[in-house]
Amino acid sequence: MPTRRRLLQGAATAALSIALTLTLSPEAARAQANDILLTLIAPLSGGWARQGDLMKKGADLAVEDINAAGGVKLPGGNAKIRLIVADAGDTAEKAKNAAQRVLADNPNLTGGTGAWLSSFTLAITEVTERADVPWLTLSFADTITGRGFKNVFQTSATAGAMAGMTLDMVLELAKSATGETPKKSGFLADNTAAPTGFLKPLRDELLKAKGIEVVVDEIFTPPLADATPPVQRVRSTRPDMLFVYPTATPDVKAVLEKLKEFNLDRGRLPLIGNGAQFGTPEILNLVGKDLLEGFMFTIANWGVKGQEELINRFKQKTGEPWMTQDSISTYADMLVFKMAIEKAGSADKMKVAQALREIDTTDGVAKLYAGGRLKFDDKGRRVGASLYTIQWQGGEPKAVFPPTAAQAQPIWPKR
Amino acid sequence: MLRAGELLRSVLAIAAFAVTYLIISALITNSYYQLMMTLVLVWALLGTSWNVLSGYSGLVSFGHASFFGLGAYTATLLLIHFDVTFWIGIPAAMVVGALAGAVIGWPTFRLHGVYFALAMLAYPLAFLYVFEWLGYQEVSIPLKRQDAIWHMQFTDQRAYGAIALVLLSAAMLVSAVIERSRFGMSLLAIKQNELAAEAAGIDTWRWKMRAIMVSGAIGGAAGALYAQILLVVTPAAVFGMLTSAQALIVTLFGGPATLWGPLIGASILIPVAEILHGELGHIIPGIQGVTFGSAVILVIALAPEGLYWKLRDRLLAGGRRPPPPAAALGSPAAATAEVAAAPPVRPIAFGPAILEVEGLSRHFGGLQALSDASLTARQGMILGIIGPNGAGKTTLFNVLNGFMPPTQGRMRFKGRDLLGLRPNQVCRLGVGRTFQVVRAFARMSVLDNVVVGAFVGAGTDAEAVALARAALGRVGMADQAELIAGGLTTKQLRLMELARALAPKPELILMDEPLAGLGHDEVEDLLAVVQRLRTDGTTIVIIEHTMHAMVRLADRIVVLDHGRVIAEGTPAEVTRLPNVIEAYLGKKWMNRAAD
Repeated sequence: MPTRRRLLQGAATAALSIALTLTLSPEAARAQANDILLTLIAPLSGGWARQGDLMKKGADLAVEDINAAGGVKLPGGNAKIRLIVADAGDTAEKAKNAAQRVLADNPNLTGGTGAWLSSFTLAITEVTERADVPWLTLSFADTITGRGFKNVFQTSATAGAMAGMTLDMVLELAKSATGETPKKSGFLADNTAAPTGFLKPLRDELLKAKGIEVVVDEIFTPPLADATPPVQRVRSTRPDMLFVYPTATPDVKAVLEKLKEFNLDRGRLPLIGNGAQFGTPEILNLVGKDLLEGFMFTIANWGVKGQEELINRFKQKTGEPWMTQDSISTYADMLVFKMAIEKAGSADKMKVAQALREIDTTDGVAKLYAGGRLKFDDKGRRVGASLYTIQWQGGEPKAVFPPTAAQAQPIWPKR
Repeated sequence: MLRAGELLRSVLAIAAFAVTYLIISALITNSYYQLMMTLVLVWALLGTSWNVLSGYSGLVSFGHASFFGLGAYTATLLLIHFDVTFWIGIPAAMVVGALAGAVIGWPTFRLHGVYFALAMLAYPLAFLYVFEWLGYQEVSIPLKRQDAIWHMQFTDQRAYGAIALVLLSAAMLVSAVIERSRFGMSLLAIKQNELAAEAAGIDTWRWKMRAIMVSGAIGGAAGALYAQILLVVTPAAVFGMLTSAQALIVTLFGGPATLWGPLIGASILIPVAEILHGELGHIIPGIQGVTFGSAVILVIALAPEGLYWKLRDRLLAGGRRPPPPAAALGSPAAATAEVAAAPPVRPIAFGPAILEVEGLSRHFGGLQALSDASLTARQGMILGIIGPNGAGKTTLFNVLNGFMPPTQGRMRFKGRDLLGLRPNQVCRLGVGRTFQVVRAFARMSVLDNVVVGAFVGAGTDAEAVALARAALGRVGMADQAELIAGGLTTKQLRLMELARALAPKPELILMDEPLAGLGHDEVEDLLAVVQRLRTDGTTIVIIEHTMHAMVRLADRIVVLDHGRVIAEGTPAEVTRLPNVIEAYLGKKWMNRAAD
């Protein structure tokens, strides 16, 4: 029956066209013509939404500060910053879609920051690089700045470098506290991207180079059903320190509880982690201050000594108990864009990107990044990017290393 | 091809869609909408992949992310490790997808229904961990500034849309060919009733394997293209639950087992979810998941068979309707009346033994369903098998046509041992079967229902159609061939099923209670048809418990009780045996025998 069939196919095509027209309604332009457009793309829904929330709080505060102080100084008069926030969701596809949408809707976009998870950042920067939009990110996978891109600027140390820095810091701490360096170490981590990238250099070369033996190497696939077997092996092999790297909070909790059960907590075995998940306010609520006491972790950025005014203002404004890497980095990123735009004398994305490539300073906003220097090498990696060591003391994560940033004295457990 | 005309129309429709798409795509300059248009095609492609296996065969797969993910990683890793361009990577991904289909199908097709679905779910989860373990947590496709086009990297995103369009058109074309050939008909038959399909001579395992391999190839292509569009491959993105779910949901929404279903579903769900996510994602987290969930619920509530059928039925209601089955009943009645008028011919001498059963036993645990049963059917004979419920009649048929092996005993058809043969092989030898409960393919025409049974006897699809028409003629349904099976009466369904069994011209037909549920006149019509079949030279073994019909129809009768043959002889002999009368036929017969 040809007519019927044709009707059907007509209907199908019509449905498609309707769907397409629906997507075509242009977004009304709300902005003032001379606003400077910056974007934050971060996970605001899904499993990483909390991190995105913290990033947004930092960026919002910075934009408020900048605009309250008169905005960005440009030859043609001051301009205000307008922050476009987009949800990267919980998949790389959604992150990429968000980037494409922000770019398509805002041809005058100057630059952006995001998106926490490395794989999201990788997907987003594939879009922004092709559009010559400068991008700042705290994500630390080596691949982000290992693709030959010109407009991606990594403010954190890369994962590959972090392992070495963490080890150096830990050994220095141990030495100053006990007078000797650990001889045996162990791993207890999940097999997701971040721990895998972090532990590989430690396992393959770094520890060997320092003469430290890996006596226990327990890698699991999250979620961790039962922490008893790996913790049992940790106990029986007796390492002098343990790198603990689960990425999911429930797994962190399971491991810490089990370590306590086996009397390996609170100083009997130094525990070292890496990454933001060990310093969120949520982990305090979930895991509790007793279990966390003495736990150390290294992190790309943190609200540290010398930033009290900012931290207090942030705490007051947002109700957050402290300022994590996610908030302070996006706060700083906005200031960096302001600096780059003023240096370029224009909000043009390519000129701003060029300015970012040329900036070299240790003043002002540079102090808001670990290492204290703002200069990017030709790959886009920040020169001198280092880490902070944070330690849970009395229910608060405090910077304990390096000494210039330390909010408290480190406690290295002694047996 | 069964219907070349319909196929041509599908091809033209696909071409029209492709042209429309290209025109819209040429008009759109917004890169975000371009991306959306491309993603719609990618998900429609994965939906089509799912549809080829699960839509047509009804074997629901919760694990199509396996093919998608393997395709994505194949093309990506080939590029990274061996510098192989995606132009080769996508075909390679298709090969890997097809191989994965074979490897996954081989063990998994042992399972049925929900167990199959759940087992399929396990594969992508396993792959997810394997690829994490291999260290491929985040694989980024390198930006090729030189030889960009050679590496399928375009500055104009519409190029990806065009590639997706080519792949989707090809997949839809394959899907259209499948839908209109014995491939798709066999899958539909499997979907309706796998056992009946086997009994109709369809090698279900082989068709399922072919379907999962074609499906795997299409899924692999979708995954590879997705990787090239996203430029980042993570195990969670390509092997994740959402990927498998997306394939299933777009197809269910649009209409499973239809050519256009996946495209309709993807065209609506992907943009809507994305718009909602873009506009509301930071206000209502997870709105995309809610959209998909609501879509599924809506579809279940309003259009359980998918949007395509809803639209089609809606359009049909306003336009031309198929002739209602009732109106078509006039003429066939005349045909059967003519058949009925033919006097029953009962030949005195029969040919050589065609079916020999010796000492056949089958037990289920302690239950002796069939115990040392022996019987012989000679060529041209109607052999009746009677017995009360649970006597083992249907078990006998199930053993004879290979649904279950006998515990012991022998059975030969034309001297050839049937032991160990699968149902479709038994059918190929020339043994047809009908069932107690008719399994019609409700959405298909009477002719198509019969064609499914004709494939086994036909070299080409055209030959199958000819055989099917001939078989319909033999049961007096020649002029009802175009009716939709869903609207048939019980008698018509029984005749149609008989025609399906007759289509490959079997020498022996096993009929399981063909008269059940028929009215008096209908019984007469059916008896006439059966008698005429015998006159044509077909041997018939028939199970029935309507004794008076059996007495009129059968040349010889075997009486079963508790799995044992307790009597055998001509109807006159059997109905006179006291033990038979007493135990199975009741007082009425006892009195009549005494007269």
